[in-house]
Amino acid sequence: MTNIYSSPLAERYASQAMLELWSPATRYGLWRRLWLALAESERELGIPIPDAAIQQMRDNLDKIDFKAVAAYEKRFRHDVMAHVHAFGDVAPAAKPFIHLGATSAYVTDNADLILMRRGLDLLRGRALDVLRALTTFAERWREQPTLGYTHLQPAQLTTVGKRATLWMQDLVLDIEEIDYRRRILPFRGVKGTTGTQASFLELFEGDHDKVQRLDRMVTEKMSFPAPLPVTGQTYTRKLDAFVLSVVAGLAASAAKFSGDIRMLQSFGEMEEPFESEQVGSSAMAYKRNPMRSERIASLARFVNSLEGNANQTHAVQYFERTLDDSANRRLVIPEMFLATDAILLLMSNISLGLEVHTAVIARRIAAELPFMATEQLIVRAVKKGGDRQVAHETIRKHSLEAARAMKEGAEANDLLDRLAGDTSFGVKLKDLAGAIDPKRFIGRAPEQVEEFLRDVITPLFAGHTAKQERAEELRV
Amino acid sequence: MKESALPLEPFRRGKVRDVYIVDDERLLLVATDRVSAFDVVMSEAVPHKGAVLTQITAWWLTTLAPRIDHHMLSADASEIVREVPQLRGREKEIAGRAMLCRRATVFPIECVVRGYLSGSAWLEYRQHGTLAGEPLPKGLRESDRLDPPLFSPSSKADVGHDENITISRMRSVVGERWASKLENLSREIYQTARGIAAERGIIVADTKFEFGRATDSDGTEKVILVDEVLTPDSSRFWAADSHEPGHAPPSFDKQPLRDYLASEKRAARWDGNYPPPPLPPEVIDATSKRYLEIYSRLTGHPLNTDGAL
Repeated sequence: MTNIYSSPLAERYASQAMLELWSPATRYGLWRRLWLALAESERELGIPIPDAAIQQMRDNLDKIDFKAVAAYEKRFRHDVMAHVHAFGDVAPAAKPFIHLGATSAYVTDNADLILMRRGLDLLRGRALDVLRALTTFAERWREQPTLGYTHLQPAQLTTVGKRATLWMQDLVLDIEEIDYRRRILPFRGVKGTTGTQASFLELFEGDHDKVQRLDRMVTEKMSFPAPLPVTGQTYTRKLDAFVLSVVAGLAASAAKFSGDIRMLQSFGEMEEPFESEQVGSSAMAYKRNPMRSERIASLARFVNSLEGNANQTHAVQYFERTLDDSANRRLVIPEMFLATDAILLLMSNISLGLEVHTAVIARRIAAELPFMATEQLIVRAVKKGGDRQVAHETIRKHSLEAARAMKEGAEANDLLDRLAGDTSFGVKLKDLAGAIDPKRFIGRAPEQVEEFLRDVITPLFAGHTAKQERAEELRV
Repeated sequence: MKESALPLEPFRRGKVRDVYIVDDERLLLVATDRVSAFDVVMSEAVPHKGAVLTQITAWWLTTLAPRIDHHMLSADASEIVREVPQLRGREKEIAGRAMLCRRATVFPIECVVRGYLSGSAWLEYRQHGTLAGEPLPKGLRESDRLDPPLFSPSSKADVGHDENITISRMRSVVGERWASKLENLSREIYQTARGIAAERGIIVADTKFEFGRATDSDGTEKVILVDEVLTPDSSRFWAADSHEPGHAPPSFDKQPLRDYLASEKRAARWDGNYPPPPLPPEVIDATSKRYLEIYSRLTGHPLNTDGAL
């Protein structure tokens, strides 16, 4: 529909998988699963819930009549109660037992934790996709010298592949954070209205043990390591802040990458992929703009501006809960996941199609390298019988002149020609040129790339497969 | 049986075992038949699994007894009922699965011994060439035998999975004296058990021990072995003939269950989350048989399942 607002994250940017994760169907499907887990556990603990109730719930986990829900919601002005009734309509035997003893936060909060955990899994997969693309890139260009930049000024050489490992390592660190957060993320569990479990103590006629078991059983069914030991009505919003900070970390890593690509494209050294019919500029037809990297920068700034929001929400939750978290979380949590999903998709796409322009790189190296080779040039002069202090002064004088010439329009850096023409320096041009072979200036960059891929990236991919295949074997 | 409900004060409930307080000196450990795979708890119980876990522990403790002090007082239901009269009439619920134990102050460390490179140890080694931060020889393959076995303690995390820790970290948690005692005991028990199991065609790839401190009537304090011992749940068991370096052998106990769940996933009938698919009786039966087989392979005789619930 074009006559009402719709979110660009849904319309343009995020993946189908991430959109489905945050969809009403997934969320309310989880609510029904949580009601099923509660009923199953209550029954195992002796509440007389008939088989038919459990079976009807099981059979209708994903058959949600959203029209019926909307009608109930209009009547009750309460989303959870609307869903309880709509579920009860299709599972009549379960109707008397759905949501027994629970407060709304039982389904809303626990579902949010499940959704965030699955969101982290999806983002982790996306980050691995980027790493796969960059692995190929880093491997291919590991020996290609290129100007390094510090302070945004030309500095000693590195290699194109080595620079890619800097982007990769950031993502590896993000993945390690995801793994940690995901592993320890607790469940809100079964806690009741103010978190005291009073309603459940009532249900089990004062049997504290059964109440504790209920909390643990539901937590186990939903595959969480443990319930939070204590809660108010909701789980502490600190958990949101922790999770979203990891998400924002991914966005920041991608933003750093996008900044590098945008500048490299400006220098002409590298370009992000450009489709054959893509239009760079409506006015300047020849232009190729780094629009995908710019979009990463744009979305990442959005994500990073939301990160602090989660801590602020936590800070203003008063006593056992206030509702001023609700509308805010409804926006912030999905949007951070959706935007970061879009960011990583873009980063994958760029990484798969990065173009490297070696001629431009060589030209830019040639313009700067003679200035960086002072030490090597001095050594050549001294070996030919020169004086170190005299050679240094000669180089200093000619460097300043060559730099001035370039600023005044000279095409190339002619420092070596000037030195070769200066008899006091005493080294032939051929020998001087040998001193500035770029491969002599890249240190261990190619080896570092190989080591990084071998020691960090390969095990990460292997661990990923093993992790999926043998999740429960990691116990020992 | 998935949940025990005995007329005793509950002490702690784990993923599989329920612990009750009998009195100041004694606890009752009850292993249920709950089972999980791919991080999801199954709706069905695996018959006899709890009894297998308890009786394997009992068998090991009896076998190792001359060498090691332990917490077991009895794993025999009628004897337990004589000792704990509150359990009269509940024999069927506890048959095979309950163990009456001496209370001890448990060290907050899981003493893991690895005789083969597998699981999280293999992942760490492949990533960093280390185990618990200590370098290992280069060029090891998955499932390679480690000689001597490696001691790699882990912390008992309140939330989440246990974390591997370094031995020096363990020293600062339990103190120098106890740390070396626990390490030596763990290695010694594992080495002995590895040999005994190998004679019966079972490889104990790795295992996890827990120890506690207990004071004897004469006032001397000693370290005793507690918790479950060398069971399929606390160890990684492989059939000797399925072991091949470079590969992860099938799990002795849960493979039928895992194969079934994997096929349900492939057929898109299960998304890997709660609720798990209902298990067909033949899968439950096959898994149960695997547990019983481990028991009979180890001990040389079948588990007595008479009278059990």
